[in-house]
Amino acid sequence: MSLLKELHAVVKWRELLWQMVGREVKARYKQSVLGYFWVILNPLAQMLVMSFAFSVIMRIPTNASSHIPYSVFLFVGLLPWTLFSNSLSFSCSSLVSSASLITKIYFPRTILVLATTIAKIIDFLFALSILVFYMIAYQIPINVNILWVIPIFIIQQIFTLGLSLFFAAANLLYRDIQFLLNLVLMLWMYLTPIIYPADIVPERYKFLFQLNPMAVIINAYRQTILGGGEPNYLSLTIALILSIFTLLTGLAYFKSREKIFADNV
Amino acid sequence: MEINNIAIKFDEVTKDFSRNNQKTFKEFLPALIYGEKTVDKFTVFSNVSFEIKKGECVGVIGPNGSGKSTILKLIAGVMSPSKGKIHVHGKVSPLIELGAGMHPELTGRENVYLNGAILGLSRRQIDDNFQSILDFSELTEFIDQPIKHYSSGMYMRLAFSIAIHVNPEILIVDEILAVGDTAFQAKCFSKMEEFKNSGVTIIFVSHSLPQVRAFCTSAIYINHHALQQIGDTATVCQTYENDQKQ
Repeated sequence: MSLLKELHAVVKWRELLWQMVGREVKARYKQSVLGYFWVILNPLAQMLVMSFAFSVIMRIPTNASSHIPYSVFLFVGLLPWTLFSNSLSFSCSSLVSSASLITKIYFPRTILVLATTIAKIIDFLFALSILVFYMIAYQIPINVNILWVIPIFIIQQIFTLGLSLFFAAANLLYRDIQFLLNLVLMLWMYLTPIIYPADIVPERYKFLFQLNPMAVIINAYRQTILGGGEPNYLSLTIALILSIFTLLTGLAYFKSREKIFADNV
Repeated sequence: MEINNIAIKFDEVTKDFSRNNQKTFKEFLPALIYGEKTVDKFTVFSNVSFEIKKGECVGVIGPNGSGKSTILKLIAGVMSPSKGKIHVHGKVSPLIELGAGMHPELTGRENVYLNGAILGLSRRQIDDNFQSILDFSELTEFIDQPIKHYSSGMYMRLAFSIAIHVNPEILIVDEILAVGDTAFQAKCFSKMEEFKNSGVTIIFVSHSLPQVRAFCTSAIYINHHALQQIGDTATVCQTYENDQKQ
């Protein structure tokens, strides 16, 4: 199994993985006054602007039954989406930006993609503090179902990693991929119930959301965090299977190209 | 026990590079549809076979573009051969264009840990060697500054100091000894001598025949996509010089 083999290699090189994560995190905002605060400021500003546009101007409703303020409703979807989209687009260029390493020294190349993904999760955890603050400020009730967030998050990461591996390897051979990816991500965001609730979508288009793991994942976050209910098990299982399939396919493609990385970068 | 004696073995190794004729989708898609050739093969060398024994110090010589660096990259496992097999016994450490993993915004200290990890060292190994790395680099007073403020010589000194603390079994060196001032160069060479005397296998790529003559016990000469000669340094260097005169 190539997955187990790769895991073993990564564990062996874990010191490098942590150093690369540290490099991503530490170096990014080194010469800036606000430093790491930008990680929080960015999603906050985005959320405020989008809340104004979509709830004050366009009056998109939140989930039918609840009294959740739009800003919180939006943020529960927007944060994981931002994580997903940032992980993908940064992973996509992670191999290319480390070209000088790839052509000189041997180490498992998956580490570059993994390090980017982990660095983005760290950013996400910082940004999460705003959501926690908002939820306390608006006194949103939560219950034990919130623990579902952990498995949902793991499914999201499996899916993200699978796609990241694929796009990173493909981008090394054709730089068009990174531009294509940005386009795809933009369209994908509107086809995922982030700025609108899934229940206002006409019935005949709902199948689109069943096939879109990100839609299932975002819905599941909302159901468990804001609704206090259980997620839709069937959809979540399908998402899990799709995610694992994506990871295996992405890794297989990555490994099949790995041998010629240094020749082509 | 012949096997245990061999550090590196190339068995009928061929390395091709495929060059894409079309760099973008816009060019690539029509070419694919009209059935044009999308890749172009370029052979660096073919059917190269040789063995390097443990503890040998081998110079690789040849003109530009003959594939000297490609041999090093194949040994390091960075590239894979198109045909043939490569056997490497022992831990390989590269001294190829030092500082590939350095990040300019990080401090010298952070870069020591980063680069050490890239070379496969654990945190503890770096901790243990940190003082010695610092002493060798002579950069003690600058170690907590971002290395973007370093001069290029200081940069290279730090990179070299990390690389030599890896305790390699096989050391591959690519044209890097033109690093730093004369004093530091001398220090580097004496460190390489030390490695050589302690039984480390060294593969040394250089354009400078005097350096190869002074330092290596045997040499490999590649040219015209093939291995031309392998043998003791004096003979091989002589052949190369004769070829160049023609």
